[in-house]
Amino acid sequence: MADPFKARNPFAPWDRRELPGMFDVEETARRVGHYKWAEMKLFEVLGGWIATVPEIDVKLRLGTHCYKHAWHAELWHNRLPELREMNPERLTVAPNDAMVRFIAALTEPEAPEMTIEKLVGVYRVFIPHFISAYTFHLNNTSQITDGPTSRSIKFILQDEFDDWRDGEMLIQTLLTTPAEVKRASEHQARLEILLIEAGGIAGPGTIGSAFAE
Amino acid sequence: MRKFFPVEDLARDERFNQATNEERMADPRGTSNTGVIRKARSTNRLTPLRPDATDAARSLMHGIMVGEIQALEGAGRTCFDFVTGEEAPFALKLDMARQCWDEARHVEISVKLSEWMGTELGQFIENTVLFAAACSQDPVLRLAGVNRALEGLAIDVFTTMKEFGELAGDPYLAFCEDWMLADEVTHVKMGSVWLRKITENDPERRKKALEFQSVVDKIFSYGGLRSESDESPILLARRFRELAGFSDGELTEIADVSLAALNERREAVEKTLASSPA
Repeated sequence: MADPFKARNPFAPWDRRELPGMFDVEETARRVGHYKWAEMKLFEVLGGWIATVPEIDVKLRLGTHCYKHAWHAELWHNRLPELREMNPERLTVAPNDAMVRFIAALTEPEAPEMTIEKLVGVYRVFIPHFISAYTFHLNNTSQITDGPTSRSIKFILQDEFDDWRDGEMLIQTLLTTPAEVKRASEHQARLEILLIEAGGIAGPGTIGSAFAE
Repeated sequence: MRKFFPVEDLARDERFNQATNEERMADPRGTSNTGVIRKARSTNRLTPLRPDATDAARSLMHGIMVGEIQALEGAGRTCFDFVTGEEAPFALKLDMARQCWDEARHVEISVKLSEWMGTELGQFIENTVLFAAACSQDPVLRLAGVNRALEGLAIDVFTTMKEFGELAGDPYLAFCEDWMLADEVTHVKMGSVWLRKITENDPERRKKALEFQSVVDKIFSYGGLRSESDESPILLARRFRELAGFSDGELTEIADVSLAALNERREAVEKTLASSPA
């Protein structure tokens, strides 16, 4: 057995975590508040749509996914006071009016014949944007000081990937004609334009900038 | 999408046929409306010994399945219909979202059990009364009508079905019913906790909610469907209801309402038998 009193490094050789991160406490709280708001809007609309879709497999997936996003909202709600925001409701807001318009357009479809639009809005637009926002946050936050946010994001991302796959596969079973493909892509484009205007789930800078300065 | 979704618009595929509770009660083919009433058995409890046990169990399982679909839809609507913080607390909505997941699993379980029992989706008519109870514009009334009255009935139904599975030597059925029973106790408890919390300083609202619960309880006691007597197909499951937050007084009230409904049915049967030719 190795000598237990021999000095060891606090960071094991395989532990490459770094201290610097792009977000301070305030910026993290701001982003987390927007994440919570967006997750809430998503679980609410998924819940509302259950009664409106005739396809039983879709109905059941919406019910399952509704809870996952509620749980994500709860994780963010609990994180806010740890980020010095003692009134979580203050930061539980949309980043801007364009994001509010995006949610209004996302939640608009109701008719039982509009399952394609409902699923496209969530699984081809909203959830991919969640994946981008969370991935950017995870890869840019301090891996040591912001450990709790990183841990939540890792759990959440697993759900997002699983649900995106479920949703995408359901969409593929519903798109059986060129006209339906066109419907799906037109709705996707309409929503994507609104999200571009919003700058992403956390507003401009949600996923940083890819351009050289 | 509209806030508050009417029961008539519930979306279903082509296999399902729906009826309101009023339509079912008024159906002239119903046994109590035709005078064709079976002579009283020594017990009406759903057990494998009943000659009609197979069909009765399949019909009940299908009823559970469509009830779970509506419970899923109702919980989902509560997530959407009310403004968070103003009309419904955030934590209540989280509970409703959790219930969505649970009910979705219950649908999956009951679909598989129905297939196992030889039933096709939509083979029996769907009574939409559960979702109707979830259409109230007050979230507290929804909690009272759905989580306490109807999910309370689900506790009774699952207890009976679990026993049926055990008696029939079907561990598959008993195993699944026991899991669903555990979830239902949680749902009823959610209803009990939120009802007390939200109406803590509003006795009038609490009174209205409890009255609504009582009305729903009465509807489901119709014909003596559920009581503590062996003459009812479904047994009132006192122990599990206690775990779910029902007080002794509330349990006694439900037992009394159920017994009264059973007595009404007894009288109707006797009257019909007395007036029918020998």
